[in-house]
Amino acid sequence: MFDAQVLLQIGWTSVATSTYYVLFAVAFALTLKVARVWNFAQAGVMGLAFYAMYVAMLRWEWPHWFGFLFGLAVAVAASVASEAWGYGVLRRRRSHGLLMFIFAIVVAEFVAYFLSLVFGTEPQSLQKSLVSDVYMVGGIVITLWDLKALAITAIACAGLWAFLRYSRQGQFMHAVADNGELAELYGISANRAYVVAMALAACLVSVGIYLYGTRASMIPTGPLEIILLAVIATILGGIGSLVGAGIAAVFLSLLQSSSILVIPSQWQSSLTYLVLFVVILFFPTGLRVPGWLGKKR
Amino acid sequence: MEYVYSVLILIGINIIMASSFNLIIGFGGLISIAHPIFFALAGYCSAIVAMKSGVPIPLAIVLGTLFSTALSVALSLPSLRVSGDYLLIASIGFQLGFVEVIKNIEFAGAASGLTGIPPLFTGPLRSPAFVVTILALAALVVWLVHRMTHGNYGRAIQAMRDDEECFSSLGRNAMAIKCAIFAVGSGLAGLAGALYAHYSQFLSPEQFGIIQSGLILTMVVVGGMGTTAGPVVGALLLTALPQAITFVNLPTSIMAPLQGMIYTGLVLIFLYVKPSGLMGKRARE
Repeated sequence: MFDAQVLLQIGWTSVATSTYYVLFAVAFALTLKVARVWNFAQAGVMGLAFYAMYVAMLRWEWPHWFGFLFGLAVAVAASVASEAWGYGVLRRRRSHGLLMFIFAIVVAEFVAYFLSLVFGTEPQSLQKSLVSDVYMVGGIVITLWDLKALAITAIACAGLWAFLRYSRQGQFMHAVADNGELAELYGISANRAYVVAMALAACLVSVGIYLYGTRASMIPTGPLEIILLAVIATILGGIGSLVGAGIAAVFLSLLQSSSILVIPSQWQSSLTYLVLFVVILFFPTGLRVPGWLGKKR
Repeated sequence: MEYVYSVLILIGINIIMASSFNLIIGFGGLISIAHPIFFALAGYCSAIVAMKSGVPIPLAIVLGTLFSTALSVALSLPSLRVSGDYLLIASIGFQLGFVEVIKNIEFAGAASGLTGIPPLFTGPLRSPAFVVTILALAALVVWLVHRMTHGNYGRAIQAMRDDEECFSSLGRNAMAIKCAIFAVGSGLAGLAGALYAHYSQFLSPEQFGIIQSGLILTMVVVGGMGTTAGPVVGALLLTALPQAITFVNLPTSIMAPLQGMIYTGLVLIFLYVKPSGLMGKRARE
């Protein structure tokens, strides 16, 4: 049962599967870091992006690239709209954090109901067949989807890193995340930073949902469950750390997949919620490298 | 007539749920949305005790209520160390985790649900008896919440909610108040759950998810958070109004999401137009 080959296979599959979770977690962590909102409405954006791609690719039979771009456009528009007409309005009114949270959850639920009404509750995927080409490397099964997903995720994360590190707007976003009021005194528009953060998050979510939809099927309420893993990863990785959120997403995927070796499969999803509960109660600021280890000698 | 009775019973159950949730979230400022899980715990406990051990149903309802109260205290001790957004997300983890657990417990009916729960009342006057009992208990719960949140103890609760640090610096035990509010609120939700189990005679894990949390939250927000009458008005409106579309005879695949859209759409409208709710004071916005 604990054969090295099996462990390697589980490890590889977990890392490949974690690609979309990484993108969702980084997107969630980005909006939390910059806009300081627990953006559960991201689940709604996920749902809209998925079904927009589904309609374009499978009903209108557009080429995959155009279908993806259509989904991306819908996601960015929805995400920016949620900031402009949702969070932005509540922020200007100095509403209680609870109202922001209620707004986020309710938007996600509203979109899930809307999608259920339009598309029904049958699972749908973005391809007629989810079978992918298979290669055997050292006895480990590697699919073409795994390789594509890893490459796409690496490019998306590198693009985000480069944008935040080198672009002027990216640096403004860092400044707003650190101290919004001080940044505004220096002439930086915090509102613009929030909108850009939402748009970037929507891009990451679109890429993630495309990967998800080409590997598994989705139901309208699916994003509400997927978003929880992004939340756990964000907290576990340390709030404010995009890299931490990404690494935590890989760790959670590994944990979920490898748990099949020790607990029955039907309890696997419970494990995620147990981790969420334990992490929040005992590591509310996330798991970080201890100070004495991080000190430079 | 049976239909009217069932709507009245649902209104009563929802008034208990919304009022007890308002005690926790509106008066206590404890942002937890795991309320339906205490409803579920008491419902399952009462049903299983009545079915397996033959305990009289009123006693089973009391046991179920006490069970959910005890479990809420056990949960609140570690959970209330964190507050605000963290408490909220911890509550989501607890709720969804518990729903998953229920789905895998065979003697609780697992994912397909628990059937054959004995009813509290039988005979031709079953439904009117349920209506009277549940509406009387709902009135009692509203009165209890009002008493608890007004007067000396009520002022302490509001002081703790508004400025916990200042409250603690005066030598008051904020944690004790939080635990008490959480236990009473969850216990009342448990009472509603136990009553519901012996009315509907069927429980399923799908009835206690995030959607249900959203529904109760909607009742509290629409009615007016932190007011006694608000949750009553919210529960009344949001139970009665969506019944109107049931007369249209739409298929379930359309009806269920349409009702959901009405609920969530109403919350969004209220968040913009009147965030303090129908019964809330302008100053609270």
